[in-house]
Amino acid sequence: MIVCVAVVGHQNNPLYIQSFTEADDALKLHHIVHCSLDVVDERVNNPKKSGLTLNETFLGLLYPTENYKVYGYLTNTKVKFILVTTDLDVRDADVRNLRYGIAKFFRRFHAAYVDAVSNPFHVPGKRITSRTFAERVSNIVKSFGLSSAG
Amino acid sequence: MEPDVSIETSSMIRIAILPIGEIPHQTLRDYYSMFHHHHPIPLSSISSFYTEEQKSPFTSLPWDTGSLRFKFILGGSPPGPWEDFQSNRKILAVIGVFHCPLSPDLDSVIEEFDVVCKGYASALVTRCFGFFPCDSQLEDGAKKGGDLRFFPPADRQTQEMHFQTMMQEIAASLLMEFEKYVFQAESSGTILKTPLDLQASLSSEEVIKAKKRRLGRVQKTIGDYCLLAGSPVDANAHYSTALELARLTTDYFWYAGALEGSICALLLCNYLSPFLSFYQIDQIGQNNPALEDEVRCRFNSVILHYKKSFIQENSQRVSPLSFELEANLKLARYLCRRELSKDIVELLTSAADGAKSLIDATDRLVLYVEIARLFGTLGYHRKAAFFSRQVAQLYLQQDNRLAAISALQVLALTTKAYCVQSRASISDNSHNNEVGSRNADSGKMHHQSVVSLFESQWSMLQMVVLREILLSAARAGDPLAAWSAAARLLRSYYPLITPVGQNGLARALANSSERLPSGTRCSDPALPFVRLYSFPQHSSQMDIVKRNPAREDWWAESAPSGPFIYTPFSEGQPNDSSKKELIWIVGEPVQILVELANPCGFNLNVDSIYLSVHSGNLDPFPISIDLPPHSSKVITLSGIPTSVGLVTIPGCTVHCFGVITEHLFRDVDNLLHGAAEGLVLSDPFRSCGSPRLKNISVPNISVVPPLPLLVSHVVGGDGAIILYEGEIRDIYISLANAGTVPVEQAHISLSGKNQDSVLSIPYETLKFVLPLKPGAEVILPVTLKAWKLGLVDLDNASGIMGRQLKDSSSPSLLIHYAGPFTNFEDPPKGSVVPPGRRLVVPLNICVLQGLSFVKAHLLSMEIPAHVGENLPKPVYVENSASKEANVSETKIDLFRGSRGLRFLELELSNPTDDVFEINLSVQLDSTDDKLSIGQDAADYGYPKTRIDRDNSARVLIPLEHFKSPILDGSFFMKDFKPDEAADSRNSSFSEKSVRAELKASVNNLISRIKVRWQSGWDSSGELNIKDAIKAALKTSAMDVLLPDPLTFDFRLVRNNLSHGSNDSRLKGSVLAHNMTPMEILVRNNTMEMIRMSLSITCKDVAGENCIEGTTATVLWSGVLNGIAIEAPPLQESKHSFSLYYLVPGDYTLVATAVIEDADDILRARAKTDSPDEPIFCRSPPFHVRVIGTA
Repeated sequence: MIVCVAVVGHQNNPLYIQSFTEADDALKLHHIVHCSLDVVDERVNNPKKSGLTLNETFLGLLYPTENYKVYGYLTNTKVKFILVTTDLDVRDADVRNLRYGIAKFFRRFHAAYVDAVSNPFHVPGKRITSRTFAERVSNIVKSFGLSSAG
Repeated sequence: MEPDVSIETSSMIRIAILPIGEIPHQTLRDYYSMFHHHHPIPLSSISSFYTEEQKSPFTSLPWDTGSLRFKFILGGSPPGPWEDFQSNRKILAVIGVFHCPLSPDLDSVIEEFDVVCKGYASALVTRCFGFFPCDSQLEDGAKKGGDLRFFPPADRQTQEMHFQTMMQEIAASLLMEFEKYVFQAESSGTILKTPLDLQASLSSEEVIKAKKRRLGRVQKTIGDYCLLAGSPVDANAHYSTALELARLTTDYFWYAGALEGSICALLLCNYLSPFLSFYQIDQIGQNNPALEDEVRCRFNSVILHYKKSFIQENSQRVSPLSFELEANLKLARYLCRRELSKDIVELLTSAADGAKSLIDATDRLVLYVEIARLFGTLGYHRKAAFFSRQVAQLYLQQDNRLAAISALQVLALTTKAYCVQSRASISDNSHNNEVGSRNADSGKMHHQSVVSLFESQWSMLQMVVLREILLSAARAGDPLAAWSAAARLLRSYYPLITPVGQNGLARALANSSERLPSGTRCSDPALPFVRLYSFPQHSSQMDIVKRNPAREDWWAESAPSGPFIYTPFSEGQPNDSSKKELIWIVGEPVQILVELANPCGFNLNVDSIYLSVHSGNLDPFPISIDLPPHSSKVITLSGIPTSVGLVTIPGCTVHCFGVITEHLFRDVDNLLHGAAEGLVLSDPFRSCGSPRLKNISVPNISVVPPLPLLVSHVVGGDGAIILYEGEIRDIYISLANAGTVPVEQAHISLSGKNQDSVLSIPYETLKFVLPLKPGAEVILPVTLKAWKLGLVDLDNASGIMGRQLKDSSSPSLLIHYAGPFTNFEDPPKGSVVPPGRRLVVPLNICVLQGLSFVKAHLLSMEIPAHVGENLPKPVYVENSASKEANVSETKIDLFRGSRGLRFLELELSNPTDDVFEINLSVQLDSTDDKLSIGQDAADYGYPKTRIDRDNSARVLIPLEHFKSPILDGSFFMKDFKPDEAADSRNSSFSEKSVRAELKASVNNLISRIKVRWQSGWDSSGELNIKDAIKAALKTSAMDVLLPDPLTFDFRLVRNNLSHGSNDSRLKGSVLAHNMTPMEILVRNNTMEMIRMSLSITCKDVAGENCIEGTTATVLWSGVLNGIAIEAPPLQESKHSFSLYYLVPGDYTLVATAVIEDADDILRARAKTDSPDEPIFCRSPPFHVRVIGTA
């Protein structure tokens, strides 16, 4: 189950963080997202060593922590998408599957983000406050939960 | 769980260092620091102290390359339960340290040392180091011998040498002790137990297995000692045996331990360098993939076996988990390189996961510390910060002051990752650079600060961290840290904090400051927000102008060139336009406007705020201010420049909440910039309702030596000078030199609108008083004449009186002045000419609408003259001249009548609240005065006309003086071409030139009419009505100015009035039925002989005027015609005739002349062009009253 998704700007500033749990763990999720930037930074700075090719936007599993796994996605403009999930035993093949895997989720998330920032009233670098974006993201998260369950 | 574990730990000999007796804190630190140089002692250096009593069990001791590694435990540590399992955990030596001057009694020292040593049963070697002994102590100590060692006073180097020797001796002793132990351990039945065994051994029944187990454990321990002795080869051999035995006896815990030891031995074998730790070797680049794999593989096995050794029964009490985690950490530390980050992250993550199962909170704390350190080494600062925070939370759970201090320190480390660090932790160096760069390009944002703005958006995390810092600082009793944290929290996150929370923070600030000494400085500003509002340029009173010594008008080049406010050329260099130069003068107060904002919900009391000047040449004046909740204020901060040079003002120093902080303008600028871009939570100034400001460019400010300073005031009050339109008044302006330098040059000029209203400027007065010494004063008289209000002004005036008038339309006196060319105080700088100054003295003239001119029109008046008796005065002869003469006395002689008498009627109204008196004066030309003998040439004294408020009045100006009286007057000769025709110089003058001349003469006429007014005591002025008069005269100028060519006069001839006894009654009348002899006098006003044919008409009329009116009822009329007369130039001709009246009544006599052979002048005067047209001249009607005889 996806517990949190986040968009982080190119200056490592949070643009959007949304958790999908009932529990009051916003602070914890903030920490998890914040910490994941270490890994993203490292991959960005050492693309060769981490085996990341330039064209690949999906960063894969960033790190496992406690009960969560954190996945990352990096756009060409250095905007990061972070996904925190509780599904601990996901096979790598499933993750990278573009039909139903997490990579697919990120594609859809990216599309939603692009639409959100294309809004002429959006100020780049500012937090995304669009309600439409929030709704769309929660739809994507829901549909992901269904497809991965099914 | 131990801090700072690594693979190397297994090979380290622990030595407790204990202070004995009384030692000052600093001295103790000094002594401790000496030990730090001696943790690896090369085996080669200790051979001299080593004596081999038996054959050493360490058969392959590497004497050349090996070393003993010491780990000094300062202050010692209590024995732990796991010492048997890992021999390196034992304290193997104790070194006491005492300070001889404070512990003179050696016996007591020895006694105390012995007592202390008892606590360390495992210690094999004990020594007691005495520093700075006196001679007696040395002697005494020599006798006592034992463990005492002395370090006589010497320089540091000698002492180090001495110290090194001592350490080598200890190393050798330890080595020998290890040998002893190994011998004993193999022979005697040493029982080795761990807390893990205690209960398990009870249930153990297999004795043989237990024996084997013991053997294995002994072998492992011997291996440990071999490691400690620096002999990895030997250790390896023993570990192999131990591993075998442990495997057989399923003694997993010891198996894992032995394996761990073997890893250390393996690495020691590979890196036999006494001075480098393993990681350093790795970093040098000597890493060996095969070895790395081997280490990794063995560690996995170690971890596995530690896991296996987990026994469920006693898991509540004791668990091998900490060893498992330690193994994790050891491996992680070994591998800790960026390339392997993924592995390390995994290791550390699993270690962190394991932390939850740790029983002992201290273990967890140590684990988190280590994890954080490793993440930090890896470059994962955020992760490191996360774990540091965990550490801090564990500390805070302990709820004591020391733990809180530790928590505070750990949290301080995390602030960088969370971007909430105190400014104190940012190095001063970069700080200064930024200040410099800010000054260099003030418009641009510093990149670093932009990034920090972005990062500041993790507000949720940041606030949590700051709150924890505040909490731990409060608990740790560090008021400054608490203050700083509260300040940061309040300043950065006030929009996210509820008013109650804000109040709480304010209280926290106040409470913290109570515990701080007054005058404490903190690098983190709290409230208020301070931004630059403006840098006021010099007021116009003390403007500074560059001085061009080469020119007489030295100020000229400094004035803005060209008439345009906008010059396209200056736009090309935006840098230049934004970089304003500001010059301040030593000793003259300066002001800067700053805006303060308090966006929080409490009342903010700023104890003092003043400019913070890094260049040190400005004395700022502090002020205190109170800011209500959610408010902002613009305040003026001032100071006095104290010395010549550049001034930089990066911000303000604020004393608020009991602590002094510096608020940099740059920070707030960045913040506001961020707020504008939507990156920062909120703009504090906007939330206080203050409008957005443009970026204020900070000018380059330089301070120059003292200049003269002129101060002006208008004598009698600096208020507006209220004048009615046209009023003329003298004002006195006092100039005083308030500076410390004399004024040597000064020049007055005018600027602004209505410059012509200043009638006189006392240039000479000013020149005369130069040089104006400091303190001296001069009074300059200036004459002003109020201008006429325009229509716009009138509209304004009718709206709100006088409010806006003075600013825009008043002229100003510009006084450029300067001191001496060279500066007396600083002769070497004489080459630079000190600048001059400009004083603008605005003449605040407020012009009120005064008498207003409504209209002017020309009135002509015809009063028929009576044909009179022989009046005593011969005034009839001198027709026009007598008119002039009469005017002054009687205005108009009604009896004589007047023909063509014209008046200019001026209608004036007085809309003011004052009473005006009009004084009309007509100035006679001086050339004219022979005709007006006895007259004052200047003025005619018309009576004054008084106009009350809100009334209007008409003033009549008789224009007859201007009519040419006779034609030889030089005035008319000069002005009137028609009369100059006699000169025949200009006989063919044109109509055009007539007009031009007319115009000139009209102007001349007008200029001589002055309408002065007076109101009250001191207001007087002149109405400007020239245009009005001109307009009025336009149509009939010729009639006004030129005389008719012929003038007529009738007269009764007196000689036959013998019977007239009742003369007095019948004066000026004619009797009916009498022959009345009369004369007509025809005067030729031209310069030529005129011949004419004269007719005299006499009519008996009922009306007043029978000549022109068609409706007049003519009762009788008779004509005498065909009288040919010749009138010589400028002379009169007389023609006598007689009339016989039959009926008494009123008669009118009119003479008409047809001029024969009229010349051009006459034609022009008659306004006719055609030469055939006859030219008529007609006299005014004369009345004759005929009285009946009865």
